[in-house]
Amino acid sequence: MLLTRLNHLIKIFLILICFGLVSGCATTQTTAGDPDPLEPVNRASYSFNDTLDVYLLKPVAETYAEYTPELVRDGLTNFFDNLAYLNVVLNSLLQGKIDQGLSDATRFIFNSTIGLAGLVDVATPMGLPEHEEDFGQTLEAWGINEGLYVVLPLHGSDTGGNLPNLATSFFLNPLTYVTGVVLFPLSAVNIINKRANLLEATNIRDEAAVDPYSFTREAYLQRRQYLIYDSNPPVEGYDDIFEGEDGTAGEESGVLKIE
Amino acid sequence: MRALTISIKHFIAVFLLFYSACSPAGEADAVAVVEELHAALLNVMQQAEPLGFQGRYDTLAPVIQSRFDTPLIAKVILSRYWDELDEQQQNRFIELFKRLSIATYASRFDDYSGESFKTISVEELKKGRQLVKTELISPKSKPVRLEYLMHPNEGNWYIISVIADGVNDLSLKRAEYAVIINDKGFDNLVGELEKKIQELGDSSPKS
Repeated sequence: MLLTRLNHLIKIFLILICFGLVSGCATTQTTAGDPDPLEPVNRASYSFNDTLDVYLLKPVAETYAEYTPELVRDGLTNFFDNLAYLNVVLNSLLQGKIDQGLSDATRFIFNSTIGLAGLVDVATPMGLPEHEEDFGQTLEAWGINEGLYVVLPLHGSDTGGNLPNLATSFFLNPLTYVTGVVLFPLSAVNIINKRANLLEATNIRDEAAVDPYSFTREAYLQRRQYLIYDSNPPVEGYDDIFEGEDGTAGEESGVLKIE
Repeated sequence: MRALTISIKHFIAVFLLFYSACSPAGEADAVAVVEELHAALLNVMQQAEPLGFQGRYDTLAPVIQSRFDTPLIAKVILSRYWDELDEQQQNRFIELFKRLSIATYASRFDDYSGESFKTISVEELKKGRQLVKTELISPKSKPVRLEYLMHPNEGNWYIISVIADGVNDLSLKRAEYAVIINDKGFDNLVGELEKKIQELGDSSPKS
């Protein structure tokens, strides 16, 4: 038991070292310069994760999704989301979002109690919506750039600046303190349930993407920006893409006459 | 003579009033274009099964063709590679991209469970462009923020990008296609897109 705890800590320590390395060379992603300097390593991790997914995780998740009643899936999603919610509470408060932090704390309390240990989301209809906050967003709010795009084996997409979130979310999740006998099966269920919830999204990716790795990276990084701005990114950024990298503004549309 | 001058003045006054009331590229027009697309999508969702993939494709084609500024989109997506192509290649890419867009919509909007679209607001951007903010509301899941980047051209509004929950479709494609052109060349990209269009048609279960 102690050994597993130690293993976890060592893993996190190593990740924090990596964070130190990758966030040290923070750049703005996706537009200027090389958005993905770690690309070769990232692609290797992505391939690894994808293989594991295609041959193991996805088939299990699909079977799970097919045979598990919606109600049970919702209950499990609520349960695990609730356990992970203390991390959101902490980060809301650390970002100075006091009202939101209080709302999040109340949400956690209500769902854990009235919501039957988190199985039922009673908080949302009560006007306490779910928020998405993590330590990476907190660091961004404190002025520390998000860092480089990384793909970690098993964990998947992340940014250097958000890696410490692995630590905060780990320590703030009650599951961490539960014995291995209960923890492992519960974790397995959690992973399979989450994968099942993402089946639609990955199907879209598989359908739409010509290069799934770049697609995932772009979508992920844009989503991070969206979360950092709490769903209200500055709209001035949207049409930057039309200003042209070589200075040619995309003004003359060359719209062909429509037949 | 005086009566003529007065009536001409009246005529001009009325003309100007009329003209400003229907000023080209007004805010309402941009919203109308987006709502036209949404109406077409809803229609196709509700008739998804009887139409099948091809039916949905054919129904959506006119709207997408006329309301998206595909040539500009194509140019921005290929960005610095655009000028390296000759006119024939450029036209080929535009045509291909148009077909891919229609096929993607036809494939994605293939069932209906009570969804609806809601227009929320419009924001002014640089150079006369506008952002129409809408939401796709579904009874079964969280609403999806859909924002349409619009630009005016010759009195009409065109959609130039769709941003879904903060993810800009244009940026996404630009990043992807740049990788392919860089590594394998333009012809290879064309091949991949043709394949993608084919897959969209084949994989749609209700075709």
